[in-house]
Amino acid sequence: MPAMPARPAILDPCLIRIVCPLKQRSRRLLATATHQLPRNQPWSHPPASTSIDNDQVARLASRPLHPLTLADLVQHGRPPLSASTLFTSANFTLSLLPIRLAHRIQALRNLPFIVVSNPHISRIYNNYVHSLSTLLPYQERQINTLEDEIQFTEVMADLVQTHADTIPILARGFLECRKYISPGDVTRFLDEHLRARIGTRLIAEQHIALHLSSQPHCTHNDQHAQDGSSTSIGVIDTALRPAEIIRQCESFVSEICELKYGVRPTVIINGQPDTRLAHVPTHLEYILTELLKNAFRATVESGKERDPIEVTIAAAPDPSPSPPESIHLDPSRADPTTSNTPPGVTIRIRDHGGGISPENLDDIWAYSFTTFGDEELLDLGNGNADALNAISGAGGDSSSLAGLGYGLPLGRAYAEHFGGSIMVQSLWGWGTDVYLKLRGLGKI
Amino acid sequence: MPRSRSWALEKAAWSTRPHLFRRPIASATAPWRPAAVLDEWVQKEARPISLRQLTFFGRTLTENRLLSSANYVRMELPTRLAHRLRDMQTLPFVVVTNPHMSHVYDLYYKAFETLRRIREIKSVEDNEQYCKVVSETLQEHLTVIPRLAMGVLECQDLMRPEEMDKFMNTLLRSRISRRVIAEQHLALTETFNSPWHFPNAKSQVGANSEFVGEVFLRCNAREVVEACWNQASTLAKEAYGWSCILPDITIEGHLDATFPYILSHLQYVIGELLRNSIQAVVEGRSALNDSPPPIEVLICEAPQHVIIRISDQGGGIPNEVMPELWSFSKGPRSQTHLRNLSQVPKMAATMQELKPPNCSSDNSSTSNRDKKRSYDGSLGSLTSRPPNLRLGMGLPMSRVYAEYWAGLLEMHSLEGYGVDAFLQISKLGNKNEQLSTRASMDAV
Repeated sequence: MPAMPARPAILDPCLIRIVCPLKQRSRRLLATATHQLPRNQPWSHPPASTSIDNDQVARLASRPLHPLTLADLVQHGRPPLSASTLFTSANFTLSLLPIRLAHRIQALRNLPFIVVSNPHISRIYNNYVHSLSTLLPYQERQINTLEDEIQFTEVMADLVQTHADTIPILARGFLECRKYISPGDVTRFLDEHLRARIGTRLIAEQHIALHLSSQPHCTHNDQHAQDGSSTSIGVIDTALRPAEIIRQCESFVSEICELKYGVRPTVIINGQPDTRLAHVPTHLEYILTELLKNAFRATVESGKERDPIEVTIAAAPDPSPSPPESIHLDPSRADPTTSNTPPGVTIRIRDHGGGISPENLDDIWAYSFTTFGDEELLDLGNGNADALNAISGAGGDSSSLAGLGYGLPLGRAYAEHFGGSIMVQSLWGWGTDVYLKLRGLGKI
Repeated sequence: MPRSRSWALEKAAWSTRPHLFRRPIASATAPWRPAAVLDEWVQKEARPISLRQLTFFGRTLTENRLLSSANYVRMELPTRLAHRLRDMQTLPFVVVTNPHMSHVYDLYYKAFETLRRIREIKSVEDNEQYCKVVSETLQEHLTVIPRLAMGVLECQDLMRPEEMDKFMNTLLRSRISRRVIAEQHLALTETFNSPWHFPNAKSQVGANSEFVGEVFLRCNAREVVEACWNQASTLAKEAYGWSCILPDITIEGHLDATFPYILSHLQYVIGELLRNSIQAVVEGRSALNDSPPPIEVLICEAPQHVIIRISDQGGGIPNEVMPELWSFSKGPRSQTHLRNLSQVPKMAATMQELKPPNCSSDNSSTSNRDKKRSYDGSLGSLTSRPPNLRLGMGLPMSRVYAEYWAGLLEMHSLEGYGVDAFLQISKLGNKNEQLSTRASMDAV
């Protein structure tokens, strides 16, 4: 069984160059924080390489979670941020993350002993413990110097990097533990865990993005490009055009489809294709890729590749007319965007792929394994490249149309994170209609 | 409790709604009836029946079978009435003393008292007498639906909406069930008595072979949709003006799908959905002069179900309204609905003069059907009401009808674009009526 690559001990070099001129200090910081599991860890109680006071975890986990909104992420204003605003962003991030990590650690600790003893699950558990330990030094202080902020951003980058492969690793772990924990319990745990993870990553990534585009850290050339023409606020695109994302995902999924099946169905976009909304492009890409993968697979496997997949984009009418003058963000206001409910966008994906059978319909939202047979799962053990890609596909980068069966529940987790939803309507014998609802950001 | 004191209490309760307090409260408190008799009937279990049983039973009619059917109905009607009476008795006092609810309660009690006293039916003459009583009761109860709906709206603030909806759904489901078995028996009696009937013949000959009582054996989805479309279009033209441009309809999919069903139920539900779609398209585009986008109907046949999808581009339903779509008591326009409902009892009173809705394209059977239709005026009068008389209950009612034979009705809205409605019908007729059983009544 091929071992999963160990987490790299250093950051991507170019990131370091941009982020921090004080390379030596950062390397030392990271070196003390790395840990690696022995390669052939037997199933037993693995030692944690870092340890945290139980009191700390309990104390943090008893504090309530702040429900993340899109407004939170843009509250600091359009980039480039000034140094002081950057500090505000850092401190805001600092106020949220330890609590979130503590909640996750507690949830993991409450899984059955034998499950957390599994090397993969244990590894994820240790990742969380490690990440929290890197944030604890900041607990009692505020960030208000550039140097502190740079260090903090490195910690953020470390966090994002460490937890990048959580999903496939957890998936493998739960697969191996399927005799010891019920599918219902797995789904319940993963639903909560992966939804929390979306928020945590977003907070960290947003700060990193704001940091990279901020005034102190931007090169002169980059700054020029940012003057007013960019619609991005960190990882959020305020003028995201779903039709564009659909075409990108279509092209990606078509490639795989053609590779595997030799045909590529077409996608028609109708409705209001010029609709724009404020959202996180990577999230939308993930959701649409998964939905299109399902549609393409069903279409081709039922022999209907000549029937196009119909995508309809609908934008709810704007309740209040938008003022003609340009709107600017006021960082001092707590929540500048909730004067009315943000407008919604609905994307309907219709395929003629035969539908989902009534027996399978109950299971589509479970974090379970796909309708592929157990032979494919056995291939995982033999290092079969195609099936291995199937596992890594759940993380969003896939070269297989059939993943682990995580695409729908995870897609829904992304959609629901900011108040959207996914609903699936099966017409068994004809095809499937999927309704993706997204909530934008409203007036910015 | 002295009558004057209770009357004063009731007046006080309803005086906060002076605009509703127009009719005299003759029976503000129901007369005290000993509960022992009702208790005895409440203890009995209802025996639900399936569509298939209804049709098989009626296929070969002998005198024995007829009497057997009569005695089944004789026991079932008071049993089911008793269950609902008990439900009403456990509602809050202030709700049941609402004039409309009180009217319905009295009607039900009177029917219960009459029907429970009927002795075992032993001859064809006994059956004739019985049918007369049942037919009169059915006539009398035509006002139940509008009165109930008004009562529910007036009592909006007196009960939690979820509980009210649960009560209404249970009540209406039971009402459908009683009318189904009663009308089926009346239809069988008529068949038995008709000049074409040969008591010992193996199969029914003549114009009635496509019907067994009320059940139309060969409901072809496409024909039903077309017939409902014609009626809905005609009504729309009458309401909006004959120069109004109505959308076209396209029907695709498995056009041969055919199944046994109670035709009036199907016509009601499809009629409601089409009316809603036409209304949305016409009223949403009143400013535009070009031809409106068509309403697209898809018929999908699977081994156990037939699904009819109706898609319109009428602008969709706002997201805020969606959670209340299926409620009898909530909704932004409940006051308008209340006013409109008060006009409906007038229609029920004259329903003999109302032309019944068009049935299938088989003309020879319609003249017989017309006569039979005379005691099911409630659905007929609702189906042929003018479009501008919005009652606000088309969807919840349709869902009760759809779910009655274990079907489904679901709506998905693309706000800003249109609506997809999905009606799923169990094709095999082997699903029992969905009644609230004794067990679910006892469960707290």
